[in-house]
Amino acid sequence: MIPEAEDVPRFDRKLFDPARRISRIGAGSLGGKARGLVAAARILAERRSDLERPDLVLDVPALCVLGTSVFDAFLDRNGLRALVAEEPSDPVVALAFQKASLPAEWLGDLRSVAEDARVPLACRSSSALEDALGRPFAGVYGTKMIPGNQPDVSGRFKSLIDAVKFVFASTFFHEARAYRRAAGELPEPEKMAVVVQEVVGRRHGERFYPDISGVARSWNFYPVGPAEPREGIVELALGLGKTIVDGGACWSFSPAHPKLPPPVGSVRDLLETTQCRFWAVSVGPPPPYDPMAETEFLVELALAEAEVDGTLRHAASTYDAGSDRLVPGTGRPGPRVLDFAPILTWNELPLVPALRKLLAVCEQELGAPVEIEFALSLSPGQPVRLGFLQVRPLLVSEEAVEVAEDELAAPTAVVASTAALGNGRHEVRDVVYVEPGTFESRLTPAIAAEIEGVNRALVEAGRPYLLIGFGRWGSADPWLGIPVRWDQIAGARGIVEAALPHMSPDPSQGSHFFHNLQSFSVLYFTVPLESARAVDWSWLASQETVTRTEHVRHVHTQTPLALRVDGRSRRGVVTAGKA
Amino acid sequence: MATKGANAFEMAQAQFDKVAAILDLDPATRELLRWPMREFSFAIPVRMDDGHVRVFRGFRVQHNDARGPSKGGIRFHPQETLDTVRALATWMTWKCAVVDIPLGGGKGGVICDPHHLSQREQEQICRGWVRQLARNVGPVADVPAPDVMTSGQHMLWMLDEFEAIHGGHYPGFITGKPVGMGGSEGRTEATGYGVVFTIREALKEAGLDVKTTRASVQGFGNVAQYAIRLYAQIGGTVTCVACWDETDKTAYSFRREAGIDVDQLVGISDRFGGIDKAKAKQLGYEILPGDAWLEQPVEILIPAALENQIRADNAPRIHGKVRLLAEGANGPTTPEADLVLQQKGIFVIPDFLANAGGVTCSYFEQVQSNMNFFWEKDEVLARLDAKMTAAFHATSELATKRKLFMRDAAYVIAINRVAQACRDRGWV
Repeated sequence: MIPEAEDVPRFDRKLFDPARRISRIGAGSLGGKARGLVAAARILAERRSDLERPDLVLDVPALCVLGTSVFDAFLDRNGLRALVAEEPSDPVVALAFQKASLPAEWLGDLRSVAEDARVPLACRSSSALEDALGRPFAGVYGTKMIPGNQPDVSGRFKSLIDAVKFVFASTFFHEARAYRRAAGELPEPEKMAVVVQEVVGRRHGERFYPDISGVARSWNFYPVGPAEPREGIVELALGLGKTIVDGGACWSFSPAHPKLPPPVGSVRDLLETTQCRFWAVSVGPPPPYDPMAETEFLVELALAEAEVDGTLRHAASTYDAGSDRLVPGTGRPGPRVLDFAPILTWNELPLVPALRKLLAVCEQELGAPVEIEFALSLSPGQPVRLGFLQVRPLLVSEEAVEVAEDELAAPTAVVASTAALGNGRHEVRDVVYVEPGTFESRLTPAIAAEIEGVNRALVEAGRPYLLIGFGRWGSADPWLGIPVRWDQIAGARGIVEAALPHMSPDPSQGSHFFHNLQSFSVLYFTVPLESARAVDWSWLASQETVTRTEHVRHVHTQTPLALRVDGRSRRGVVTAGKA
Repeated sequence: MATKGANAFEMAQAQFDKVAAILDLDPATRELLRWPMREFSFAIPVRMDDGHVRVFRGFRVQHNDARGPSKGGIRFHPQETLDTVRALATWMTWKCAVVDIPLGGGKGGVICDPHHLSQREQEQICRGWVRQLARNVGPVADVPAPDVMTSGQHMLWMLDEFEAIHGGHYPGFITGKPVGMGGSEGRTEATGYGVVFTIREALKEAGLDVKTTRASVQGFGNVAQYAIRLYAQIGGTVTCVACWDETDKTAYSFRREAGIDVDQLVGISDRFGGIDKAKAKQLGYEILPGDAWLEQPVEILIPAALENQIRADNAPRIHGKVRLLAEGANGPTTPEADLVLQQKGIFVIPDFLANAGGVTCSYFEQVQSNMNFFWEKDEVLARLDAKMTAAFHATSELATKRKLFMRDAAYVIAINRVAQACRDRGWV
């Protein structure tokens, strides 16, 4: 089912060729992301009659893929392999790549992409290792959006090749190297393909963005209330999907129960925890030239801007303070809450049935639970355009792990959680934890740096460990938790989150951080901060110290720790042969 | 490489006459385009290093400037003749027109052999050449460039003399300058790469995968080296290369069935592209007679040395496997040889299309020099690819549509454009 590189026709100097919506420049691997897109296009072609609706157009936006031979030639002809072997800092790598020339034989093709495309394009990394290992390297490599609004071809060409070089350079950035190191022995050196793809959306003055972007999974690793894992989960955001993949606030719902209210305490809580900013491609006056910044052509905007653009109409409800409730739509004044109620409650758009069908068809075609990415564009008077941006099989552990309820209270339990994520078991002899007496929210960036150092040493020694800390791991907001990147904790096989108050209970399942939890089969234990029995701090304190920094302690345990999570019951426990 | 037989200018006129008939041009236009509009022939006295004065003969021919300033190289060659320069100037007019750049055709030369001249003597020739022509050349009149046995250094001497005479900076006077001194990125590679861009498109049309093809190349100068390099990078294999041996005063072909290594050969060649045959032999190359490159069992021949190399006497020796001939040099095939190529069913990418990458990039350099703002290499090469690819397909489409030989189709396009410009200006 998953296509091969040679199945993709050669680029014929036209990006928007109706007969050739997907094409390739160069040879070699297409990488994981491109293969997912090709699979998506094939599913659409073969199952169009099952998926099509009169009120919705489903397509894979036009794209071409630069195969990994372009990457190889770029490195070889510019002598960049010697440079990257020295592992210089990210700016040094990025600058050297920007100064280098792309292989001459492909420049004409890239120029014709720029000539043809007067709309924003996404240059997305598509790693060959993702393909080889069969798991996504989420958020590890760069993706760059370019506006396509420069009036002359040369300006568009320049931003396109700068973006391609940036994606190539990101293969050797610190975070990517650390990630690969943590992934253990790799079957081959990393090579990068690049997907150059039309961005789905509409222009509103000086910004361009999809009305809605989203991630849908046919398997829900974290079901809430009556939802079942097999019913799947969908996450929606206004604007570009960057909000979701960065782990920002977005709206999650079960496609089987789209009207089910989220598990939050009150409407006021919703006001605080839902999306309040969104990302768009800047198509106004050129921003300061900065080819080394991933967000060079992006802007993050407040909801008020979307209100002006008219894009909140299907996405927001309005808070009515008098009745302390939300009224779907934006027909009245008041604070807006992005709960997508006009679509989910009133069925204003056929999104939910279309997604349900798409998930089911993709599951049938790939023979496994799937994850899809999509974006919606709503042009007045026209059918909804649903851009199908990715499909990939999900790694769902079927291992039968039993964690009985009484085990949580057993004296051997070091950590006990009734809200664990994942499914499976690990064994470790090292624990890295933030010492409870020293933790303060304002210190989280410093704590992240301390953890990075300990992680590096443990990864190099090949010792997996259990990580315990406070608040949401990987949070972009340092007040909500410790803002680590994945590479800073990549050696952890179990992560314990002592939840902070005022925090959304569910981690975003579309985020890079969540993808990596799944990819590396990391067990994630959420425990209440105040619970006396959730973490046995005194037992941890009695273990032998290996290193101790200002806020973080690394201990080596006398006996192995067994980490177990039962995905069905969501019970998780860490047990030790306590003396 | 020695030039044998045909007079190049007579050949150029014969080619023109043939196409003028196809286009049914009126007599005045024919007369105008058959001959150069202006010719300069002059003496350049130079005091040699040993103290005596030697007088060199210099030329500049401006064939036609209806579409824009004349453009063409300056050759230093002991066998230079006015007729050769006339022919090359004529071909420059067609070359600029076929790739649709707003320039006319010119060419210049000096009868001399740089192998036997010191740097200082060559500098004096360059300065003397400009002193004779300073009022008849320039950014808006006639823009010279390097050619056979002239380089960026020669261009800088000429530029310096021109600027000294005119009292200002005129980087757009001349092209082929070194990068950083008004030169363009990508200029060195441009001609050779341009040849391969057209080969790539021709192979696509023929339904041939480049990876299954082999090529044999005549010449190992700048054009040939970059053509070999890019052709290998897109997957082809060059098995034979021929070049002039200055010591033996003859040419040799160097063959390696597994494919030649261009970097290896560059490492054992002199600055004029002559390969050291003893070292080549040590590296596993067979040393064959100079004409052997033509007889190789390959799909592609790339003559990239001098004119008149494929003639009626040697064309029948071209191997039956050859499908494509891309002329990297100017005028390498005589009209008689053309007939043999047609009989053999060989697809020809004519010189003024195949090697137009050089003048196209020269035009880019001129544009950049005139605005004193310089593009990155990616930008230059991408624009070059676009120009060459478009020109190839325009020619190929016309050839198919009107059932013309590729050379004739390219001439039809070019001559028609120039004739139209002459009519539009009211000249004819």
